Amino acid sequence: MHHTLSILLQNEAGALVRVAGLFAARGYNIDTLNVAPTHDPAVSRLTLSLQCDDAALGQILQQTRKLVDVLQVAHPATALAA
Amino acid sequence: MNAPALKADTTTDRHPLAGHGMSGAEVIVQVLADEGVDVLFGYSGGAILPVYDAVFRHNAMQARADGHGEAMHEAMRLVVPANEQGAGFMAAGYARASGKVGVAIVTSGPGATNMVTPVRDSMADSIPLVVICGQVGTAAIGSDAFQEAPVSNIMGACAKHVFLVTDAAQLEATVRTAFTLARSGRPGPVVVDVPKDVQNTALSFRGAGELALAGYRTRLRAVEQATLGDADCAALFDALMQAKRPLIYAGGGVIAAEAADALRGFVDAFGLPVATTLMGLGGFDSTDPLALHLLGMHGTAYANYAVEDCDFVLALGARFDDRVAGVPEKFAPRAKFIAQVDIDPAEIGKVKRVGWHHVGPLRQALERLTAWGRAHGLQPQLAAWHAHVAELKRAHPMDYDRTSALVQPYAVIEAINRHTRGRAIVSTGVGQHQMWAAQYFDFRAPRHWLTSGSMGTMGFGLPAAIGAQFAQPRKLVIDVDGDASIRMNLGELETVTTYGLPIKVVVLNNVGDGMVRQWQKLYFKGRFAASDKSLHKKDFVLAAQADGFGWARRLQRVDELEPVIAEFLAFDGPAFLEVMIDPDAGVYPMVGPGASYAQMITGDFIASRAAPATDEDATSHMF
Repeated sequence: MHHTLSILLQNEAGALVRVAGLFAARGYNIDTLNVAPTHDPAVSRLTLSLQCDDAALGQILQQTRKLVDVLQVAHPATALAA
Repeated sequence: MNAPALKADTTTDRHPLAGHGMSGAEVIVQVLADEGVDVLFGYSGGAILPVYDAVFRHNAMQARADGHGEAMHEAMRLVVPANEQGAGFMAAGYARASGKVGVAIVTSGPGATNMVTPVRDSMADSIPLVVICGQVGTAAIGSDAFQEAPVSNIMGACAKHVFLVTDAAQLEATVRTAFTLARSGRPGPVVVDVPKDVQNTALSFRGAGELALAGYRTRLRAVEQATLGDADCAALFDALMQAKRPLIYAGGGVIAAEAADALRGFVDAFGLPVATTLMGLGGFDSTDPLALHLLGMHGTAYANYAVEDCDFVLALGARFDDRVAGVPEKFAPRAKFIAQVDIDPAEIGKVKRVGWHHVGPLRQALERLTAWGRAHGLQPQLAAWHAHVAELKRAHPMDYDRTSALVQPYAVIEAINRHTRGRAIVSTGVGQHQMWAAQYFDFRAPRHWLTSGSMGTMGFGLPAAIGAQFAQPRKLVIDVDGDASIRMNLGELETVTTYGLPIKVVVLNNVGDGMVRQWQKLYFKGRFAASDKSLHKKDFVLAAQADGFGWARRLQRVDELEPVIAEFLAFDGPAFLEVMIDPDAGVYPMVGPGASYAQMITGDFIASRAAPATDEDATSHMF
């Protein structure tokens, strides 16, 4: 299933690499990726989409939340459904 | 000088050195001192020279302040390995044996890349480390400079976190934060990459302050403050009281969370038998009647049969790793209810769906559950299950060929154990000797068993023993190693004698990679590709003597075993014992890759419940 994640990230050196590296290392293929600054220049918003089943989605959300630079991970579709 | 910072620091607990001018390197060393670091493991080099010089001057100054004319006792001992990988495993051994953060300091490029294996190993086993790496100057980063490596990229993929300090003003807070990150939540290694110009920058020491890390700290607070409500406790006990054959599956989290006493209290209250993972050994006294010792691929037959038979599993700081739950859907197949407590939310349901879980500190969770169950007068009636477990232990004990003319490795471990009885710190390499040690030693208390559990890094044992001896100078430290594993970091034999450490090194020599051979026998029709070392020329005893071991012997005869082991362990100083073991000795029981516990092979000397199915030609992609 197609999922879109919205990730708020501290704008640190290497932070983007760590998110992308986590997905690669755990075998999740990123379809699209967009990074842009927010109103706070120290924070970036990373929007990415990927194909995975619901169990994998839960795991990738949890693993992404373990990255120290990550402020917030949202899955807007789940948020809307809830 | 920074006026607002000074103002903020004018409190009673203001650091005595706050406001002092220091170089970046001095700031690093001062933060280490403030964190209580008394020993560093590391190797110098161009890009880290300022920090090594600052350590030297710190120790000289402390010695003068203590009134010593010369540095008799160094405040921050610096232990130099043969290879940076050794330093990393020493720091990890120190951390595992003490519960404190282990610290390693290495130079840029090869120094840092040699540290990758210990960092990944510590991540996989949740061991707190702080690794400080020198880096080429900020202006040279990305220029393919001499001894440059992209450390934040490389380490970012295998550490809990990595900082590249490009702003010297952030250095002090970054190093302090590294310790908080390493020890908090699920512990792990944190790497701080410090360019040489940052080490040389003139700074004003603040004496306090950490990086904000809003996301991490918010999540950490939520986990650390999580408590079990009445409904949570009631739900768990409802299931437990209905269970007839409940079992605890205890992992390394019991050790990391300092929860062994709380586990003891829970078991005393409710009587659940305990099976322990490789990382959890020492979390529950293995000599207890309710202890099932090790479960999993090379677990005891009685532990694995108990897992087959149980109807309720409480997983404590354990993650259903593939060495325990090789086939997750066949793990504990009769369990009607599985509950899990872990500090890491990502581990809940990662491998095995659970019916009840709690994410939070394990010790508090166990204490709360014990108090709740006692307050409600809950007492599971487990007499029949206890009798069943006792019968499993009686009918399927660990055993081996006790009549063989060749020295059996199991007998060596048993002979050492008769002296140590779970009170020595034991480190290992990886392979058969590691499993024999895990199976045949008694484990009475946490932090006495140091092994590379998840990564399975050969060469771990010797440097880990060195680190542990620095952490526990009065404890007997034994490295149980294999001939192939010890070769990987054999240079550290010299480190043992250089620092005069009374470590006992025993090499179970089966002339090759025994575990690889065992798999080749089982799954590759006995083609011993690259695992036979009978043509290798190494004389381990001569090697140990050359490195200054005052006691070094080779043991080949069964009748020499007891007296030689006694003499070896009693020697006052570094001692090295090579034991030529039966090269065909195997590790049993064995739950093969892709097999269930019911299909466990128990070998010729451990009674099996059922004849194992033979599918010798099956090629498994499991590992």
